[in-house]
Amino acid sequence: MNILLVEDDAALAEATATAMRARGWRVDVSATGEPVPRSVQQDDYDALVLDIGLPGVDGLETLRRVRAQGSYLPVLMLTARDGVEDRVAGLESGADDYLVKPFAVPELLARLRALVRRHEFRRDGALALGQLRFDSSARRAFIGEASVHLTARESVVLEYLLQQVGRIVARDKLAALIPDWNAAASDNALELLMSRLRGKIEPAGVRLRTVRGLGYLIEAVEPA
Amino acid sequence: MSSAARQPSLQRTLLLWLLPALALLVPLGALLIYRIALIPALDALDRALTDTTVALEQLIDWQGDRATLPISAQTEQALRANLVDKTVFAVTDPDGRLLGGTAALTALAQPLAAGQWDYHDAVLGGEPVRLVTHAVACGASPERICTILVAETRTKRAAARRAALLGAVLGALALALPLAGLAVLAVRRALRPVESAATEVASLTPERLRAVDTRGVPSEVAGFMRATNQLLDRLRTAAAAQRTFVADAAHQLRTPLAVMRVEAAELLAQPHPETMKPALKRLHGAAERGSRLAQQLLALARAEGMGIDPTLPTEAVDLRALAADNADLWLLPALDAGQDLGFDLQPAWVRGHPVLLGELLGNLVQNAIAYAGPGASITVVTRAHEGSVELVVEDDGPGVPLEERAGLGRRFQRGRQAQGSGSGLGLAIVTDIARLHGATVAFESGEGGRGLRVRTTLPPAKTPP
Repeated sequence: MNILLVEDDAALAEATATAMRARGWRVDVSATGEPVPRSVQQDDYDALVLDIGLPGVDGLETLRRVRAQGSYLPVLMLTARDGVEDRVAGLESGADDYLVKPFAVPELLARLRALVRRHEFRRDGALALGQLRFDSSARRAFIGEASVHLTARESVVLEYLLQQVGRIVARDKLAALIPDWNAAASDNALELLMSRLRGKIEPAGVRLRTVRGLGYLIEAVEPA
Repeated sequence: MSSAARQPSLQRTLLLWLLPALALLVPLGALLIYRIALIPALDALDRALTDTTVALEQLIDWQGDRATLPISAQTEQALRANLVDKTVFAVTDPDGRLLGGTAALTALAQPLAAGQWDYHDAVLGGEPVRLVTHAVACGASPERICTILVAETRTKRAAARRAALLGAVLGALALALPLAGLAVLAVRRALRPVESAATEVASLTPERLRAVDTRGVPSEVAGFMRATNQLLDRLRTAAAAQRTFVADAAHQLRTPLAVMRVEAAELLAQPHPETMKPALKRLHGAAERGSRLAQQLLALARAEGMGIDPTLPTEAVDLRALAADNADLWLLPALDAGQDLGFDLQPAWVRGHPVLLGELLGNLVQNAIAYAGPGASITVVTRAHEGSVELVVEDDGPGVPLEERAGLGRRFQRGRQAQGSGSGLGLAIVTDIARLHGATVAFESGEGGRGLRVRTTLPPAKTPP
């Protein structure tokens, strides 16, 4: 992972960068927003972490400039404020996600990973998690090089879960995805489908969690 | 109100002044009416006697010093004719000899000059009478004076007096009673806006310092009410400034707290000497706690800020969607704490502020995660239930002893067994936000007497979209 971190508080920038580097990520740090649009063009970053409250050109304006030059780089905004207005303003100026200070490192990293993964899927249709790879055009899943046999329903469900990796997907949303799925079919039928799918993909270092009463969530056992 | 007895009452003061004045003025008024009504009546009766006297005067005849009263029996009868009273008369010559009429009457004669009249009440034969005395010249010299006396019993006069008295009393009462009633009514009526303004002031809370409506308040009290409103305004400004300060302070704390949180977590994650572990853990715990406290202080300031502004619009919010949308935020912390977080969500529409309701729900769930302990099962329930909407967060952890539950909604109050990174603000925020939404929060035992169940009961949205 190659991250550009824009944060004016030197201590927070250093601590966050150190935490990312400890996981083998490459991190560049900038204390101001001005050089960011150029850096984004010059270097091949996977994601931009942008503090809203920057001196001079603030985070929102920096983001606008980055987007104005046609970049789709995933952007996660950091802010010390958490009013709804801020959230709306951040997302409206083109941020992909939003995190309020003081954040926990694992959450920041998980959000960034999810952002990058979704971005990659949008870019080249590749869905991967742990050893699991899903080819959207061929509608086939692989663990390493070995093909995994999935039913049509299982592959629809898996594709959607992988697109939403790290997020809870509601049961009724999954049920709506499956063609010819009897709306009256019980939650048990869906749970049966999920438990079969779970058996097929968990050898790939992937965990398919059931969130009681709500839905399902897919995640890597060992975060990269 | 026991103090009302000792405190001066505007209403009583007004009545104390008004009622004695009425008590004095009403009899005076009655007396005046009595006199005004009686005098013409009595005058008219006297005039009838005068007429009889004048008729008798015409009858007196005199030659030289000798006066006579040539009167026929018919004339005398006509003169004495009276429907109600008895009339008697007497005419005497200058020497006091009776010329005609009733002799007994002459004893009542008074010396008068010629042409003079006298009217007075007298008693004749034990009976009260009205007596007219008139002196007329009856001879060549002016000193020769005949006296005419006409007396009438006073039945008509007594009747006139009674009628006048009755009229006066009734008239005065007809005036006084409505006046007294109207006075009481007017005082009460004038004070009613003051009372309602007082009720309004009494219902104000620090979170809701609305200006009091001064429309309809009497101008005498309006100045006081305006001063009250100005005071409320200053209070509101001061309260808002205090909340802004809390929000700013919490806000400024966030970046340094973020540094502490990141550094402490990283130090713990890196290889470190075993002897440093307890200190690092404490540092990490303190950073987590401080972070949460800052977050909650902001939430509290925001909730109170919204409460201060009564014009803030509310919207229909489905608690089911609110819970489902936020589930992602809670899942990781619950998994980290070794807990099973589950949901049982039915549509549950309420009217309110989505941000605040999200804060309420988040605090309840985070509270359960913080205190239910490893292995616990936490369930979030939303449902519409018998004309109200319920939001229940239940766990099967250690629970809270009955005697400590009442204090749960208080700020900085934590259960005695409470461990972990709680600030003691979470449930205070919950009760604050619940109150703003007209909701109640109940702390109960969970299923089978285990754990804690927090039940928030909200009024349902009137028109679910």
